[in-house]
Amino acid sequence: MELNIEEPLRYLGVRGGPDPALRTEMSAIADKLTKAVTPRYVYRVFPVGRTAEGIALTGSGLTLTGEMARTMLADCSQAVLLACTLGAGFEALLRAEQARSMARAAMLDACGSAWVEAGCDQAEGEIAARFPGLYLTDRFSPGYGDLPLALQRDICAILDAPRQLGVQVTDSFLMNPSKSVTAVIGLSERPQPARIRGCGFCNLRENCQYRKEGKNCGS
Amino acid sequence: MDLDFLYDGVLIWDGAMGTVLQQRGLPPGGKPELLNFTDPDLLRAIYREYIEAGSQIVCANTFGASAPKLAGTGRTVDEVVSAAVAIAREAAEGTDVKVALDMGPLGELLEPLGTLPFERAYEYFKEAAVAGEKAGADLVSIETMTDLYEAKAALLAVKENTNLPVFVTMSFEQNGRTFTGCTIPSMARTLEGMGADAIGLNCSLGPDLLAPLLKELCENTRLPVIAKPNAGLPDPATGEYGMGPEEFVNALLPCLEAGVTIFGGCCGTSPDYIRALAKALEASLGLRSNDRPGGLRPALGERHSASPNDRPGGLRPHGFVCSAMTPCRLSGVRVIGERINPTGKKRFQQALVERDLDYILDVAVQQEDAGADILDVNVGHPGVDEAALLPLVVKKIQSAVSLPLQLDSTNPDALEAGLRVYNGKAAVNSVNGERAVLDRILPIVKKYGASVVGLCLDEKGIPQTAEGRVAIARRILDAALSYGIPAEDVWIDCLTLTVSAQQEQAAETLKAVRLVREELGLQVVLGVSNISFGLPNRAAVTRSFLTQAMAAGLTLPIINPNQREMMDAVAAFKVLSGEDAGSRAYIARFADAAPSQGAIPAPAGGGALTLEDAIARGLEGDAGRLAREALQSQDEISLVEQRLIPALDKVGADYEAGRAFLPQLLSAAQAAQAVFEVIKASVAEKGGAPVKKGRFVIATVKGDVHDIGKNIVRTVMENYGYDAMDLGRDVPPEAVLETVQRQDIKLVGLSALMTTTLPAMEETIKLLRTLPVPPVIWVGGAVVTPEHAARMGADYYAKDARRSVEIARKVFGA
Repeated sequence: MELNIEEPLRYLGVRGGPDPALRTEMSAIADKLTKAVTPRYVYRVFPVGRTAEGIALTGSGLTLTGEMARTMLADCSQAVLLACTLGAGFEALLRAEQARSMARAAMLDACGSAWVEAGCDQAEGEIAARFPGLYLTDRFSPGYGDLPLALQRDICAILDAPRQLGVQVTDSFLMNPSKSVTAVIGLSERPQPARIRGCGFCNLRENCQYRKEGKNCGS
Repeated sequence: MDLDFLYDGVLIWDGAMGTVLQQRGLPPGGKPELLNFTDPDLLRAIYREYIEAGSQIVCANTFGASAPKLAGTGRTVDEVVSAAVAIAREAAEGTDVKVALDMGPLGELLEPLGTLPFERAYEYFKEAAVAGEKAGADLVSIETMTDLYEAKAALLAVKENTNLPVFVTMSFEQNGRTFTGCTIPSMARTLEGMGADAIGLNCSLGPDLLAPLLKELCENTRLPVIAKPNAGLPDPATGEYGMGPEEFVNALLPCLEAGVTIFGGCCGTSPDYIRALAKALEASLGLRSNDRPGGLRPALGERHSASPNDRPGGLRPHGFVCSAMTPCRLSGVRVIGERINPTGKKRFQQALVERDLDYILDVAVQQEDAGADILDVNVGHPGVDEAALLPLVVKKIQSAVSLPLQLDSTNPDALEAGLRVYNGKAAVNSVNGERAVLDRILPIVKKYGASVVGLCLDEKGIPQTAEGRVAIARRILDAALSYGIPAEDVWIDCLTLTVSAQQEQAAETLKAVRLVREELGLQVVLGVSNISFGLPNRAAVTRSFLTQAMAAGLTLPIINPNQREMMDAVAAFKVLSGEDAGSRAYIARFADAAPSQGAIPAPAGGGALTLEDAIARGLEGDAGRLAREALQSQDEISLVEQRLIPALDKVGADYEAGRAFLPQLLSAAQAAQAVFEVIKASVAEKGGAPVKKGRFVIATVKGDVHDIGKNIVRTVMENYGYDAMDLGRDVPPEAVLETVQRQDIKLVGLSALMTTTLPAMEETIKLLRTLPVPPVIWVGGAVVTPEHAARMGADYYAKDARRSVEIARKVFGA
């Protein structure tokens, strides 16, 4: 698993010919992070059933309602629920870094966002390897499109994430530790088109400097 | 309750409840506690199966019986606990099987990771514990804990409010840490010190992977050790656990040899596993007691042959203190940092009076970075309510520094308050040979399982001979033992006297150090720096004394770790004593000596560094130095107005224009902070009023628990000279209102991260608007837009820290 420092640099809005000193420092922080913290994840695979309310994940007690799940899982016989986290270890690092240097803390925070995504990628690779005959849809998360944020709690409960990963979901559907992701991935017999493009599907859309300036990172 | 059963032989516990219920139809994520009302027959049947299989203890179905977890179920903790214990009791009727009140995690994260205060967690556990005793439970099982702090809250709640024996088991990952970073030695020594009756590991792993961790646990405790592993690891695709009963038992049995005496199972196990376990243990031990069906008596090692305090052979030659994340075994010289202490430090005193906890944290962080092993924490100062402040300081330091702490006070209330909220095993500084002092402080030390420093003096003063001091040390040791404090937790301070005043005493102190080590075998503490008071070139005398004292047997020097030459002397001593094997640490120390680089490279072209350059380039050290120089010819206010602020503005303008980025803006802010520290120290020296341009409140709204964005804004604003009252995260609207009223605040900043917490922001604004003269309110944060801000009735929207500064300028006119 690797942390590509272009990602955290981008999250911090660093543009143009990036300063070599900034890159060096970002690399050092990324290095320290990846040595100290390994993303952890759990996932479960459920058969997909279609009901009047939406897409039922058989055996989980969960039905995904709305357009997002319907489109993404249209072609799928099974779906994976995934939770991934950097855990409390990252929070401790971040608190300590905030006490030392807010500049480095901001860089560490951005590295953490990239690192938990790398963890999800790793999980996705593992899932793909488990189901060699099947194709994976794009990974999509509560809060994307019309997939409700409140699902984070259901997904964490089904995956026993508090016990398996130490992840809690607060009453306002925040995940704690902060660098945690829940996601759904569909499994299909047919190749799946890339459907997820643009800010609406980005985990960082909430904090994105580009978006705040009315731009996006692809431009 | 008679605890002989714990030391009597091997005990067999039950297996899983949750996963067995799921096999019998409970959906994943369902609440097993409600079955106490809806299907007691099912529960009774499962208990009977476990008892028949050989379980001697069964857990009542109360894992989630706590107020936070039962919220929304319409059931109270008392109802669930009473029903659950009664069901288990019925199933156990006619046997001598014991019923445990089961207490799992609260499902809310404690501070500092989450927002649940330690004190609230304690109250939740207390409610369950009291209900459990009332309902007739025989003992309490605190289990599946991953946060030592939560385990401590639960243990305290049980010990203080019931007479029940209490077992604590925690869940570790393969790397030997829990999710929150707790280590096995930290867990073992903290919980044993606090009075747990048995400790162990449950859940997370199968017996194969848990075995090495159980061995480590046995090596770190004198208590009976519990093993309740999972049935292997779950298959991600199906959630099924991988190990059958036979494989489970074969992997678990070797733990007998490591010293485990209480066995059971966790997720994925069932009565079949317990039956196989009971059979295998019986075969392996070859003995079966007649008077207790299923009871087994192994040939126990010496480890479990007597009660905790008089067990000979002292498993534990070394003292120990820890935080949850950092164990500190006293197997050589360990440096105690002395800097968190107001004596003779005006700036520190000012921080105490103003409750500037960030300043104190900063002092702690510096000492950790300088290589201290333990930090002494002294916040005693006239006008300071030590009992109120010490716990706040302990929490603040532990939020970001993982070193163990030594709480330094003579005030028993302050010590108790500090030890109570401390996460880990702390030290207390200090007691002395006076009987009244010993009787006042030692019970507190014992209760919280701390180590204690004993000063070699008493009501008659400091003995002038080494022998006299050793006699007092002996008295302190005897008193500690009589309170049940083990010898390795008693540290003796042989007392450093100032050599320029009492020259012959230096040799007596060194002699006392040697005698305490040789005759009593205790850890020896010295406040080293005191030796050179009143002499020129103090460092030379201090270092020389330090080296001689370590050679005489000093193990815990209290020094200023920021003085490199002192730490060098310690590093060199560890090479010479052989503690630093292969001189590895020594070599690494000097290999890493290159100074760190600022985030921004030097501009092209040479020339002397100016204060403005140092700020722009984020060079904290240089900025501080240049500020001190500037103060020779400039007063504090003009330094801020004419140099600091313009320099920050320039970086701000570069940031606006996309020539500098957030890390650089923040580096500059930190360099400015260094300048402010110089200014504050200078003002404090002169006894003047602090330079402050206006005070604002900043808070992350209720429901939001992540706050780095708010912290970034605060940092930048503070470095423009504004005085922040940071209320933290998850702040209720009422708390903001109350502070604004009480402190007469003119400017309030609110941050929200999630769409789900925007309503809390709006509510806070509405509440503030009810004031006759409401403050100016600005808002920001991930999901907040200018449109939201306008609609919610905020005065300003800020997209970043820079914009926030501009708003403050408008409000405060500077």
